[in-house]
Amino acid sequence: MQRRKFLRNSLAVGISAAFGTTLSGCGPPSTEPQSPVSYRAGEPLPWINWAGNQSCTPSSRVSPRSEDELISALKSAKSVVRAVGAGHSFSGVVPTNDTLISTDLLSGLVRHDPEKMQATLLAGTRMHDMGPILHAVGQAVPNMPDMDYPAIGGAIANSVHATGNSFGSMSSYVSGFKLATLAGELLECTAEKNPEFFHAGRTSIGALGIMSEITLQNQASFNLTEVNKVEKLGDVLDDIEARCKAHRHFEFFPIPYASNCLTVATDIAQPGDVSVGGDDPKAVNTLRTVFDAVSWVPLVGEELYDKILSTALAGDAETIRTGSSFQVFPHVRVVRFREMEYTVPAEFGPACVREIMSTIKDKNLPITFPLEYRYVKADDIWLSMFEGQDGCSISVHQFGDLDYKTPFAEIEPIFWKYAGRPHWGKIHTLDAKRLAALYPRHWQDFHRVRNELDPRGKLMNDHLKEIFGS
Amino acid sequence: MLLIRKMSRRSKANSYLLYVLMLVGCLSFSSGLLAQIDERQMMLLANNCLQCHASAETGAPLIGNAEKWRSISAKGEDKILENVVHGIGGMPPLGYCSACSEDDFRVLIRFIAGLPDQKGH
Repeated sequence: MQRRKFLRNSLAVGISAAFGTTLSGCGPPSTEPQSPVSYRAGEPLPWINWAGNQSCTPSSRVSPRSEDELISALKSAKSVVRAVGAGHSFSGVVPTNDTLISTDLLSGLVRHDPEKMQATLLAGTRMHDMGPILHAVGQAVPNMPDMDYPAIGGAIANSVHATGNSFGSMSSYVSGFKLATLAGELLECTAEKNPEFFHAGRTSIGALGIMSEITLQNQASFNLTEVNKVEKLGDVLDDIEARCKAHRHFEFFPIPYASNCLTVATDIAQPGDVSVGGDDPKAVNTLRTVFDAVSWVPLVGEELYDKILSTALAGDAETIRTGSSFQVFPHVRVVRFREMEYTVPAEFGPACVREIMSTIKDKNLPITFPLEYRYVKADDIWLSMFEGQDGCSISVHQFGDLDYKTPFAEIEPIFWKYAGRPHWGKIHTLDAKRLAALYPRHWQDFHRVRNELDPRGKLMNDHLKEIFGS
Repeated sequence: MLLIRKMSRRSKANSYLLYVLMLVGCLSFSSGLLAQIDERQMMLLANNCLQCHASAETGAPLIGNAEKWRSISAKGEDKILENVVHGIGGMPPLGYCSACSEDDFRVLIRFIAGLPDQKGH
C-alpha cells in the first residue's frame, strides 16, 4: 500500500476509534501562506520568495541572457543590486527595491571535461535541469539536496547541502567559477587563479558580485537506492554513529510530540533493487490534522497523538526508491513552510536535537511539522557553515500559514548553546557581531575581499547589512 | 522531506514535453489558434512552469488538460495572473519565475491553459 493511502487511512481510523466518530470532511487544512504584499493585475510586479516571507518591488528588473548583459546590468545599477535564481531562500538575501537581476536565462551546459569529470554550467541553471544535463555527458554531482528547485548559483552562494558523513556541501564541489563584478570585470576564480576570490566566493551570500558560470567536480553517473522507514527516535539516536557509517547517506526526521521518527538511508543501487511504494507530498498536512484533532484533549492529548501515530505508522512497510542519482536525491515539495536551520559541530548533534524535541514538548510549542537531521563533511570555504568542522545540520519547520517567529524564538537559543552556525539562506536572527564570533578564522578575510569588490556597498541590502555590518 | 516525497520522472517528462511544446508552438504560430510564445518565454516556461505543470506528482493542473483548465480559465485572466503572482495552493509566488514580466505571465498562462492569444497584451 502506498504511504499516502496508509497514512491517511490509518490516521482516520485511529481518530475515529479514539472519539467513536468519523471525521467526515476532516481533510488536511490549507497551509498556504498569506501573501506578504498586495497585488492587482496592472500594478508593478512584486517579487516574493517561495515561502512567502520575503518580498520587494524592484524599480528595475533585469534578466541578462549573456555575460556581457550581466556585466552591463551590474555596472548600470544605480543603487542596491541583488541577484535572484529560484527564490527559494527563507532569509532576506534577495529583496531590493532598486535593481533585481534574475539569472533565469543564464541556463545550460557551457562545457565538460570527461577526463577530469568536470562540467561547467551557467549559474542560473536550475538543479532540476542540472541532473539530466550532467547525465547526458556521463556525469553526476556526488551529492544533491533533497529538493532541486534552486538555481545552482544560489545553491553555491548559500552553501546548500544534503546529508552524508563523507560529502561536503554543494559549494565544496565547485572547482572554479566566473564572477561578474560591479567594476565590470569577469574574474576567473579557481584555487590557483584569484584564490582569495575563490575561497570567499564559494559561499558569498551574493556579496561579491554575480557568478555567471560554475565548474563542478563531478563523478561518473551512478544509481542510488533510498530506503525509508519508521523507527523509534531513541533507537536511532542511540545508534546514529553506526548508521551514518553504514550508509552512503543517512538522515532522519523527528516528529514533534511523537516517539517515532522517519529514517532515510541511501546507498549505491544494487542489481535487482526495485522501487516499492510512494510518498505523498501533502502527508505532513495529515500530521497536522491529527494533531489539531486530538491535542486539545485535557491531560492526554499529546499522549493520544503519539499513540495514534505509533499505531498508524507501526505497520507501515518500507518505502524504496531506486534510480539515477539525480532522480533519487530530490523530492517534490508542494506544502509551503518556513525553515530555520543551524549546523552544530557533529558531535553535538544528538544532544542538540534531543533538547529541541523536549523543549517543543515541555513548552507546548505549536510545531507539528517534522524536523530534519543531517550530517555534512567539513570544508575549507571561508564562510561555509562547515568550515573547519564536520557539521550536523538540524532544521526546524513551521507550516506556511502559521506563526513561526514565536516558536523559532524559543528554539533558536538552543542552537546557540551548541555553537551552531545558521544556514545563510534560512531564517535566523544573528547579526554581524555574533556571526563574526562563529567564523574566527576567515570572517575578516571575507570582508577584506568584499570591500575590495564592492567598496560602496551596492550589493548590501538590509539583510546583508544586518549580517555583515554596514 | 520524507513526507513530501515522491518518485519524480519529471526530467524525462519535461524533455519530451518541451519537444511537443515546440511542435505545438510552431503550429500555433501558423494557425493563430493558440497563444504565441517566443523563444525567451519558451525558456522561462521550461525552467519554471514545466517542473510542476508537466509533472503529475505535484498535483498541479497539467498543460494540455483542457478539462482542468476550463474551470480555472473561468476565473478570468486577471484573477489567474494575481494567483500566479501571490502563489496558490502548492504553487509558489511567481511560479518560481523571477524573470517573468506581467506580459510574460499572461502569455504563459494562455499557453499552458490552451487559451487563444489576445491582442493588447
